[in-house]
Amino acid sequence: MSDAARVENPLRPGRVILRRYAAYLAATLAVLAMAQQIIVAETDWARMGSAAELLREAAAFLPNLAFMPEVLFPLLETLLMALWGTAMAVALSIPIAYLAAKNISPFYPLAYGFGRGVIVLSRSTHEIIFALLFVSALGLGPLPGILALGCRSVGFMAKTTAEAIENVIPGPIEAIEATGAGPIKVFLFGVVPQVFPIWVGNVIFQLDINLRRASILGLVGAGGIGLMFAEKMQMLEYDKAGSVVLGITAMVIVGEYFSNRIRTRLI
Amino acid sequence: MTSDEMTSGIDTIHQSYLADRRIRRIWKFVILLMTLTFGVWTVDVLNIPIERVLRMFGPLATMVTERLMPPDLYYVMEPLILASILETIEMSVLGVVGGLLIAMPMAWLGAWNVTPNRNFIYPMARAVIVVARAVPTLMWAILLVAIFGFGPFAGTLALLKSTIGFAGKLMAEQVEAIDMERVDAVRATGANEIQVFFYGILPQVKPAWVGISIYSWDSGFRGSTILGFVGAGGMGLYLRAQISVMEYHTAMGLITAVIGLVILSEALSHYLRHKLY
Repeated sequence: MSDAARVENPLRPGRVILRRYAAYLAATLAVLAMAQQIIVAETDWARMGSAAELLREAAAFLPNLAFMPEVLFPLLETLLMALWGTAMAVALSIPIAYLAAKNISPFYPLAYGFGRGVIVLSRSTHEIIFALLFVSALGLGPLPGILALGCRSVGFMAKTTAEAIENVIPGPIEAIEATGAGPIKVFLFGVVPQVFPIWVGNVIFQLDINLRRASILGLVGAGGIGLMFAEKMQMLEYDKAGSVVLGITAMVIVGEYFSNRIRTRLI
Repeated sequence: MTSDEMTSGIDTIHQSYLADRRIRRIWKFVILLMTLTFGVWTVDVLNIPIERVLRMFGPLATMVTERLMPPDLYYVMEPLILASILETIEMSVLGVVGGLLIAMPMAWLGAWNVTPNRNFIYPMARAVIVVARAVPTLMWAILLVAIFGFGPFAGTLALLKSTIGFAGKLMAEQVEAIDMERVDAVRATGANEIQVFFYGILPQVKPAWVGISIYSWDSGFRGSTILGFVGAGGMGLYLRAQISVMEYHTAMGLITAVIGLVILSEALSHYLRHKLY
């Protein structure tokens, strides 16, 4: 090897490259150690049986198409739960967004902190946890499910709305202030028209997400199609459970398609 | 044009404006009425008694003030719970790493501009991503538990699925936004599809893909905290057990721990993404 090839690249000193590969090595070893723990130590491979047996068990879940019509009504129920949950989140998110938008929040650190706190709590708690708490307080049925969906999605709605309010362009607001309009009119004609299209897009996006969320709430008794799934699993009617999953998948794909269509048209 | 004719012209404009406004008012009224009818119909379909809605605030307030507060954080410090938290983290890392290893080729094959074959491979890769996104992860976890038995292995596979859907879609979007001239330049040297991927596509999307990978772990970790509800490993098992025996203070302690960990993971992912760019 000639000496010229040994000249170090000034942008990549050997030390940096060494440190980088050491980090790669450490990460790989950590993942392998976790794999050893989860896949080898904590999994009972002997009980699982051969690959053929596993395949046969998986084949039991192949959807029973004759059962599909019975899935339709719970799917409708799920859709309506998602609608109400989103409506609730939208209604609650407006005051919280008002508190959590830096540029218009009253009593700056206090109300702003409160608004942000609500957003963080709502966004980092899984919908199933909300649903369990509401079910244990209010009993079974779609009502706790709707409340859980509302609590879960209010954070996202309030966060995006607050961000949209923070990013408002001041020009139109100053123009409306110059006409002598009061604060309410400034808000209605200066802020709302700028925020509205973003907000509508987010409402549709959230509806799409809530449709997915609503479909599992029934697993803890909070209404919707998840309940049917849980029943079929308990009765060991795996083919019908498979049809329920197929129905949800179809509904979610259709929902996502329409949500994307509407949002691309809006923007 | 006389001034009389002008006035009548303005009059007709004004008349048509008034008629328009009347029609718009009627429409608004009809839409409002339809929305209300729809709302009442949905409440009927969902079978929600109104008096239950009106009486729900009392139980909710008691729930929060008496049963949930204060959270019992000592429970979380027990070795059993700490071990389950560690297991949750391990599951999330394994599931997401495995999912990313599948999501990356899927994103490449499922990007319209660079897919090696638009008639067969593209729709297949897209279908994998779309179905992985559409099947609810918790139900998938139940199916996997039924097939593979209780334990973190089923949970890891469930996270694998959700990562394929989550990361696959975002990564494919990044690939579809790349500069095709650089891909064509690599192709012009006679490179095959795999060489085109490594020298034309990967360098362009690498920073975005790294960010998406970290974000997927963040999202996967959130998901992994509840997989234990259905016996698929991790801390969710204890949360469900505590709620079902009505030990709400310890349950709330676990929920607080989950929220704390999720906020930590989000902060870590935010920090890493900003450091790497």
